[in-house]
Amino acid sequence: MSPMIIGVTGLAALFVLLMIRVPVAFAMFVVGFFGIASLNGTNAATSLLASETFTLASSPELVVIPLFILMGNVASATGMSRQLYNAAYAFVGQVRGGLASATVIGCGGFAALSGSSVASALTMGKVALGEMDRYDYDTRLSTGVVAAGGTLGILIPPSTGFVIYAILTEQSIGRLFLAGVFPGLLLLAMFVATITLLCWLRPEFGPPGPRTSIREKLRALLGAAPIVAIIVFTIGGIYGGLFSPVEAAAVGAGLVIVLGFMSRTLNVFELWQATRQSIVTTATVMLILIAAHLLNPFLALSHIPDAVGAFITGLDMSFYSILAIILLVYLALGCVLEGFAMMVLTLPIFFPIITQMGIDPIWFGVLVVLTLEMGLISPPVGLNVFIVKSVAPHVPLSTIFYGVMPFWITMLVTLAILVAFPQIALFLPNTMLD
Amino acid sequence: MQATRLIADRLINLSAIIGSVGLMAEMGIILTDVIGRAAGVPLYGSQDLVTMTMVFVVFSGMAICDRTGGHIAIDVFERFFSNRFNRAIDALSAALGAIIFLAIAWTVYESAKLSIMLNLATNLLDLPKVWFQWALCALAVMTSLGMALRAVELGFSGRDVRHDGLMR
Repeated sequence: MSPMIIGVTGLAALFVLLMIRVPVAFAMFVVGFFGIASLNGTNAATSLLASETFTLASSPELVVIPLFILMGNVASATGMSRQLYNAAYAFVGQVRGGLASATVIGCGGFAALSGSSVASALTMGKVALGEMDRYDYDTRLSTGVVAAGGTLGILIPPSTGFVIYAILTEQSIGRLFLAGVFPGLLLLAMFVATITLLCWLRPEFGPPGPRTSIREKLRALLGAAPIVAIIVFTIGGIYGGLFSPVEAAAVGAGLVIVLGFMSRTLNVFELWQATRQSIVTTATVMLILIAAHLLNPFLALSHIPDAVGAFITGLDMSFYSILAIILLVYLALGCVLEGFAMMVLTLPIFFPIITQMGIDPIWFGVLVVLTLEMGLISPPVGLNVFIVKSVAPHVPLSTIFYGVMPFWITMLVTLAILVAFPQIALFLPNTMLD
Repeated sequence: MQATRLIADRLINLSAIIGSVGLMAEMGIILTDVIGRAAGVPLYGSQDLVTMTMVFVVFSGMAICDRTGGHIAIDVFERFFSNRFNRAIDALSAALGAIIFLAIAWTVYESAKLSIMLNLATNLLDLPKVWFQWALCALAVMTSLGMALRAVELGFSGRDVRHDGLMR
């Protein structure tokens, strides 16, 4: 059998295993291991399994993953999202749709503490949904805004999405973090504009909240100041050359814990629970990464990425048409695959094409992470929608999916803007790190 | 079966404690190094300590990750399959996981023999690499046994412990 036929058979087997609900990591392990064994012999497969497992489990770059996860989990446990929400609310709450805008701004702030979209949607949902209910917000808007706002978690640094992309494609984590800043802020602004437009068209969607005095505004701002200081110190420290991304993650986690204890919003039990949850999430991510390091060599040995690359570049299509096809594939896959798994499974095939076409890998990383975000609110498996449902069990899933649709379209527009203007993503990394 | 589950859960709990302590230690080591560096006295060998602690953090979480249903699976088509088929897939997946972790333990154990032969150690503190490979093997075996037990429970009684809390 030719390597190509073995490769295609392996991919078909992988697809079947995934569809019958075999865990993604296990399916990748089986296909990668047996694929390498059939192409290069069992010794090659077992050697690779041993070396990749230990190398990845003791990789200094990957230490950033559990530490940023810990930082996000502790921040969730301390209820820091409440202070961020209060500060945003004090300034925009009194305008029509203001509470929804405050939720999105709060999500953006929390995203800078936590690299996880799920954590952002969960914590902000607990804080904001009750408030919006109290002011008679339309449930489609209130739930939609929390699910969509939560997705900012993986675009605004620190982002686990960027860390995984960086590891899989051997790009700089620092450059990717910087590249996510402006697109994240752009998406945040686009979400606020969408809310404003929706409430202008349908005023009953988001009635204005009560006005706040200057004193209340200042108090809310002071409440959020320590959190903002942690964000600025942690992320700013990476670019100021104070510390590496790994050290920034440890410093951020440490500061969030200290702030939690000082403000009495965290106790030892909650810290223990957050730590335990962090090692579970770390295990999930790391097992997929280890499996990916078995699957990727198998795909390379089968020459499938080369063949797909040769086919696409031979189509005689423009640069933008090929990019559009790849992004459409991501959008379609985002409807059925979990975002992280999607990235791990597709990058070995698409990344060589991207580099061959001369597309900037940092820019492509931002586009991939944005499409991954869209998958988080796309039916039928939009994870953030289910998170919001868990916080608001009385709201039907169909209502939440209906509510996220305007934001999904907004994300599509933002994606188009980022494709048309790569400088939005590349300006910061190119000016600050070159 | 109940007694076996109790022992397994206690071991999984112990493993989770090791991982949690490891994660806090990792954070503490890096913080000490950063603060020490600012004061002109960086922590010698911090990179060695952090990377080797990472082995514990990663593999200590594997058993509890499986026990609490933490592995990502694509469940879009779950509702189209019969309950019996879904249960069979769950049991087979657990058995597959047990084999995978056993394979990891075995291959890493074999490569540990090479580490002993070549006297491989960490760069600064000269910690023998084999210690950490053995730790990885032990944690992988524990995960494998946990998954095997889950497969047996699913296969024979249909009980899916991922929906239950850990027994203490």
